[in-house]
Amino acid sequence: MHSNHMKKRYGLLAISAAMAFFLSASAWAEGDPARGRARAQMCAGCHGIADYRTAYPEVYPVPRIGGQQAAYIVKTLQDYKTGARKHPTMRGIAATLTDQDMADLASYYAGNARK
Amino acid sequence: MIGMNMEPKRTPLVYALAFAVALCAPLLCTTRALASDDLGKKKADEACAACHGPEGNKPITPETPRLAGQQYDYLVQALTDYRKGARDNAVMSAMAKPLTKKEIGELAGYFSRQQGLTTKR
Repeated sequence: MHSNHMKKRYGLLAISAAMAFFLSASAWAEGDPARGRARAQMCAGCHGIADYRTAYPEVYPVPRIGGQQAAYIVKTLQDYKTGARKHPTMRGIAATLTDQDMADLASYYAGNARK
Repeated sequence: MIGMNMEPKRTPLVYALAFAVALCAPLLCTTRALASDDLGKKKADEACAACHGPEGNKPITPETPRLAGQQYDYLVQALTDYRKGARDNAVMSAMAKPLTKKEIGELAGYFSRQQGLTTKR
């Protein structure tokens, strides 16, 4: 009787451990600003320069993205990746990004780390 | 004695006139800029604030972008692209379609002058 009770407890413990792991994994998928910062080097060449305009492949004013909404950044990157939004450079860059990369970058630019 | 009494009476009037002219001069100079900014703000409050928030700084959904502090040229590009169909979003295409080039410039000017987005490295 006693050991049966213990078994139940261990079972509960295992379930809660699995849930904790799952929950922390899904929390991580929300975006890590530190990882985003490391990834942002490829963005800084254009987005890190105030009032920058691309000259190639076309003249295009580069938007400010510091403080932009994280979900908007992710959506924009997804749209570039699928081709729903068209800019050759951004499409090329977005094509190399995973969902996790996008979440990390969005988190970094949105400034979640400052909160 | 009468002459000395007249002096202090006239001097404040001259100062007041000079002061009034000095006040009006910069007002006259900035009237055009103010009018243009007011038009941008009026249009922004009417058409954009419902989704992008007051001053374009408090969007109502996470997927709606912040506009406050965005680069002028980028805002012009975005609205122009929506208007001609180069960029596609059901709501924004409908919003941008009736805008004139002048209105796009006024809106872009207004939003770019608000505090908000930054250039982050």
